[in-house]
Amino acid sequence: MPTITIDGKSLEVAKGTTLLEAAQQLGVYIPRYCYHPKLSIAGNCRMCLVEVEKAPKLMTACSTEAFEGMVVHTASDRVKAARRDVLEYLLINHPLDCPICDQAGECGLQDYYMDYSLAKSRFSQADKVRRQKRRAVGPQLVLDNERCILCTRCVRFCSEVTKTSELCVVERGDHSFIDLKEGKALDNDYTLNIADICPVGAFTSRDFRFKQRVWFLKKTPTVCLGCATGCLIEAHHNENTIYRLVPRPNAETNTWLCDPGRLTYKAVQAGDRLVKGVIKNGLIDLEPALREAAARIDEARAAVAVLGSPWLSVEDNAALALLAKDALKTGNYCFDFNTEQGIKDGILINKDPAPNTNGVKLVKAAHGGLSLEELSRRITSGQVKVVLAEARAAGFIKDALKAAAPRLIAFASNRGEIPAGSYATLPYASYFEVPGTFLNYQGLRRRTAPSVEAPEGVKPLWAVINKLAAYSGTSLRLDSADEALKGVRS
Amino acid sequence: MPFKFTEEFRARAEKICARYPRRDAALIPLLLEMQKEKGYIAEEGLDALALFLQIPYSRVKGVATFYTMFNHEPVGKYHLQVCRNISCHMAGSESLLGRLRGRLGIAEGETTRDGLFTLSAVECLGACGAAPVMQVNEKYFENLDEAKLDALLEELKHGRLPH
Repeated sequence: MPTITIDGKSLEVAKGTTLLEAAQQLGVYIPRYCYHPKLSIAGNCRMCLVEVEKAPKLMTACSTEAFEGMVVHTASDRVKAARRDVLEYLLINHPLDCPICDQAGECGLQDYYMDYSLAKSRFSQADKVRRQKRRAVGPQLVLDNERCILCTRCVRFCSEVTKTSELCVVERGDHSFIDLKEGKALDNDYTLNIADICPVGAFTSRDFRFKQRVWFLKKTPTVCLGCATGCLIEAHHNENTIYRLVPRPNAETNTWLCDPGRLTYKAVQAGDRLVKGVIKNGLIDLEPALREAAARIDEARAAVAVLGSPWLSVEDNAALALLAKDALKTGNYCFDFNTEQGIKDGILINKDPAPNTNGVKLVKAAHGGLSLEELSRRITSGQVKVVLAEARAAGFIKDALKAAAPRLIAFASNRGEIPAGSYATLPYASYFEVPGTFLNYQGLRRRTAPSVEAPEGVKPLWAVINKLAAYSGTSLRLDSADEALKGVRS
Repeated sequence: MPFKFTEEFRARAEKICARYPRRDAALIPLLLEMQKEKGYIAEEGLDALALFLQIPYSRVKGVATFYTMFNHEPVGKYHLQVCRNISCHMAGSESLLGRLRGRLGIAEGETTRDGLFTLSAVECLGACGAAPVMQVNEKYFENLDEAKLDALLEELKHGRLPH
C-alpha cells in the first residue's frame, strides 16, 4: 500500500493505482483525452502530464503507477506550460467548426482550452491539414476526420468492448487518421457509445446531429426499458421533446448503453403515438372509448380475463390485479411470466426483451393468479368472453386469442403495437412521461422519472384502469400509483 | 475471387510464425515476405494475412500503413527512392530528383508506362555521410551527381543493376 503526496495532500492507495486514479480519489482533477476508466491505457494524448519529484521529465498520470514516497504536483508551472503546449499541438490542425459542430458545449477541446490554455494560435488557418468530413461510417455515426485528435478511444472501444475491431489508425504521424475497411460499416449494437466517448466532435450521432444545442438540454435521470437489463440512463430533453438517451455509468449494471436502447425514446414522440382510443380500427375520443370498453367488461364480468405485463411497471400491474380481484371479482387473471433472464451478447443486451419480468413476480406473490398455460386453456375453451391485456404481453397468449377470438381490450401507447384483431385499444402514458417501478434481471429496483409530459388527455395506465373500473360499476378509488401497491412487497 | 495464399507461401509463413512466441508477432516479417513476392502488398493480401494470423484486419491495416516502406500499389522493376532529408538536400538531392522527374517523365509516387521505374522521395536513409543517396530496390547508390545518375539510369534501362 504505497503512500504518495499529490499537491501537498498525502494519500494511501492500493498497489497498482495510477497517479490519475489517486488524484481522483483526492478530488484533484487531471485533464485527459485518451484515458477512459473502462478502456485500456493508451497514454497518447499527453494531456495528463504531471510533475513527479526526482523524475527528469513530466509523467503521464494515466499510465504512471503510484509508488511509495512519490511526490506529485499537478498544478506547477511546468505542468501548466505542458498542458498549454499539448493543447496548442492538438489545435494546430483542428478546424474552426465549433459553430456547426454538435459537440460544441460538451467538447473536450473547448473545455480544456478555456481551463488550461486561452493562448492564441501561432499557426495560420490556411495551413491546417484538410481531411475527409461528414463521412457516414455506419447506421448511427458520422465521422469527421478533421476534428479527430487521435486519442484512439474509439479504436479501443471497438477492440475491447464490442470485440469487433472495425476501427484502426492508419498511416503515421501527421498523416494518420481513423479509418475502417473500405466498404465496411461501423455497425454493431453499441456504436453510439463511440459518439459519447469521443472527446471531440469527430464521431457524432446521426440521430442527434443538428437537432439541438447541448446547452439547451435538460437532463433527467431515468431507466432504459429496452430489455430486462434495466440500464441507468439520462434522458436529455428540451421543451417537451426528448433528443437523446445517454448512459449513467454505475458499478452494478452498465457503463455503456446499447443502440436499440438509446433509440427507445423515439416511440414517445413517434407519429403513431396513440392519443385517442381505438375501437376496432377507428380512432375515437378517449372517454367514449373508455365507456365502450367498460360496457363490454361489465357485460362479461366473471368471464373477463386480465393479463399482466412484463412491459408495465409494478404499480400498473398491481392496478390490473386489483381490477381483476376487487372490481371484477374474476379468477381469470395471470401474472405469471418466466422469460429466461441473462445477458445475451456478453455486454448489455438481455435475453428477455421485457424490462419488468422480475417486477411482475412481486405482484404475483401478493395477488396470486393463474399460470400462463391455465389462462390460455381457459381462453381457448371459450369460457372467457373479454380479455384485457397490454399490447405486447398479448403476444404471450396469441394462439389462445386466435383460437377462441374473445373480445380483446388492449392497452397500447403506439399504434404499431396494437395486436391484430383487438376490439378496443386504450392509450396510456409512456414511462418517459410518468414514474414507474421496475425490477431488472439482477432484481435491482429501477424507477423511471418523467422527463416530458404525456400528450393531452393521455393518463398513466393505473388511472386508465381506475376509470375502467369505475365505468364498469365498481370503483377502485385509486388516487395515485402507490395506492395500487397495497399488499405488494416492493 | 477472394485472395488466397499459395500452399508454398503458407508453408513458408508457418515457419516464420514458429520463430516467435506469439503468432501475431510474425505480422511485420510476413508483410515483408509478401512484399518480396510481388513488390507490393495488395488490399486482399491484408485480409488473407489477418485471417492467417487470426488477428483483426484493422490491426494488419494499421501496421501495414504505418511503415512507409510497405508499398500498397504495384511498383516498377526498379524502385528509385531519393532521400530528401537535410544532408542529402544540402548535397543536391533536390536537383537529382528534378532530373529524374524530367528524364523519366513521371512525378514522385508514379511509375513509368513501361513498368520499369517508380520514383519516390523518401525520408532519411541513414547514409548522410555519403549524401546524396538514392536507394534502388534494396541497394544504396551514394555520393551521386548528375553524371553518375545518368550512367546508373542507362545501366538500369538495360536491365542491369550495378553492384
